[in-house]
Amino acid sequence: MQRARVSDQVARIVFIVCAVLIVLIMVGVFYVIGSQAFTVFSATSPQAFFFGNFWDPTGAGDPSGNSNPSFGARGLIIGSVVITLLAVIIAAPLAIGLALLFTEAAPRWLTRILQPLIEIFTGIPSVVVGVLGLIILVPFLQKVSAPLTGNSAVGGFGWGAATIVLVVMILPTVISVSIDALRAVPTSVREASLALGSTTWQTMKNAVIPAAAPGLGTAVVLGMARAIGETLAVALVLGGSQAPSKIFAWQSLFGPNVNITQQIAQDFGETLGTARAAYWTLAFLLLIISFICICISRYITSRSVYR
Amino acid sequence: MSMQQSVQVEAPQADEERARQRIAVMRRLHMDNRIALGVLWVITAIVSLLFISIIIYLIIQGAPALFSANFYGTGQDGIAPELFNTFYILILTEIFLFPISLAAAIFLIEYARRGPLVTIIHFAAETLAGVPSIVLGLFGFAVFAVYFGFSISRLAGALTLLCLNFPQALRLFEASLESVPHELREGSLALGATKWRMIRTVVLPSAMPGLVTGLILTAGKIIGEAAALLFTMGLFNPGNVFTLNPLIASDTLTTRLYYLKGPGAGSTGLTFNQETVLAAGIAAILILFLLVLNLGARGLGRLLERRLTAA
Repeated sequence: MQRARVSDQVARIVFIVCAVLIVLIMVGVFYVIGSQAFTVFSATSPQAFFFGNFWDPTGAGDPSGNSNPSFGARGLIIGSVVITLLAVIIAAPLAIGLALLFTEAAPRWLTRILQPLIEIFTGIPSVVVGVLGLIILVPFLQKVSAPLTGNSAVGGFGWGAATIVLVVMILPTVISVSIDALRAVPTSVREASLALGSTTWQTMKNAVIPAAAPGLGTAVVLGMARAIGETLAVALVLGGSQAPSKIFAWQSLFGPNVNITQQIAQDFGETLGTARAAYWTLAFLLLIISFICICISRYITSRSVYR
Repeated sequence: MSMQQSVQVEAPQADEERARQRIAVMRRLHMDNRIALGVLWVITAIVSLLFISIIIYLIIQGAPALFSANFYGTGQDGIAPELFNTFYILILTEIFLFPISLAAAIFLIEYARRGPLVTIIHFAAETLAGVPSIVLGLFGFAVFAVYFGFSISRLAGALTLLCLNFPQALRLFEASLESVPHELREGSLALGATKWRMIRTVVLPSAMPGLVTGLILTAGKIIGEAAALLFTMGLFNPGNVFTLNPLIASDTLTTRLYYLKGPGAGSTGLTFNQETVLAAGIAAILILFLLVLNLGARGLGRLLERRLTAA
């Protein structure tokens, strides 16, 4: 009896420790990355960091030959934001459309095919998608964009390829969260609408979608969080080391370009000192952006009626 | 029909007009319905064809490598070391991940009362799930490789993967514990079992199918992860890779694939075509693993369910 009680207490303590561990990890991530994020500002000003155009933390590419580092991350940040937004704009309607058909109007055989397909794609390694983009997509885009880029040998890399790769990467996430949101709408809502004589589409448009709107919003925000942090798939098809000088031009879509994650993956390992500090700042920026996305999705979820 | 006729007698012309309008509206609504559903079908067809063709393309492209003997060798164009490392890191990570996240799930479902602690844990789990894997890779580098002094090694990689997969494993295990009916717990407690004994003898066995499915699903994520391993486990193998030493750097299938087509392209001692064939082979084998794991998780979960509920 005594022994049973002791082992009961020990088990309880072990469980609490494991559960609190996840909080410790989370706090640790913010502390470790945050504590190193600001050292770069001893070498450069925040203005130069966020609005400068030339990213060269090691100074190896200094045009004057003095190896003066420059920390202009504007191009990287714009790259991340643009491809994320483009990917979400393309993926969201596709994903929500598929989820609508899946939950409201699909015959059984279709759901039987789609269910495992979506699950498999949720776990597809990002590097596989990246290599696929590199083998198929980049040569294709190079041909398509030849008139625009003047048949450049490195055409095809860039925001365009990165956007398409990101769409493939985030579609499964957005689809499965949307399906969950639509399934959470009670059948009575649909029955009420159908009993009033609505067609299937009217039911979707006027009853199901409004009822599931917060859940669908969460799906899009989570897709955005996933897209901004996606690394290797994007890194392989961006193919640049420097943002183009004219960043908002059509050529940006089809010429080598950069974003935050690609630069970290490529160069973090080869830098030291202040140069490395610049990459910690980029990582902290990503952390904050994804944290904001999660907070938004939590807020939307907390306001939804059906969960 | 008869209604319409009787109304027609009273005010034939106005009513005919109204009936025509009604038919027009109905027709428009049904047309809208058909168009909307048609659009949804087209979207679904495009997306699922995209997914299916990616899988088929990967397997067809990888076939030449998959059927060559060199591919499974230890040469420059072989993946034997990477296969070994991938399974090594999978098992090492699960050794940490499974017990820790199961214990955390048990605490949340069986012990914790609703309150600030549970809210904080859930918030932390959700936030951690949203942290980009490259950022967690940097965290793992700073903490496990540098601060704990494991340097860039398999152990540092496994611990980073623990952080990365903790939230998902926690959610899966919580769901499978939650699905155990309350009556079972109450029955066991009423017989005088302590809580831990109740969990051990009643809850865990009945939650087993869900736990196994969760384990397999996290295994899929571990095999496919690469970004978090770049700076914690490295991209290169030491001379003797086939050891159980957790303190050596090594690559996996995914990081090898990244190196082949990314930073290492052209410097691997292979021709461009050989690199492409090898990359396609690795991609195909990763997809095959994923297919097997996903279908296996479904099949095994169902089988265990039947076994356990029949008994």
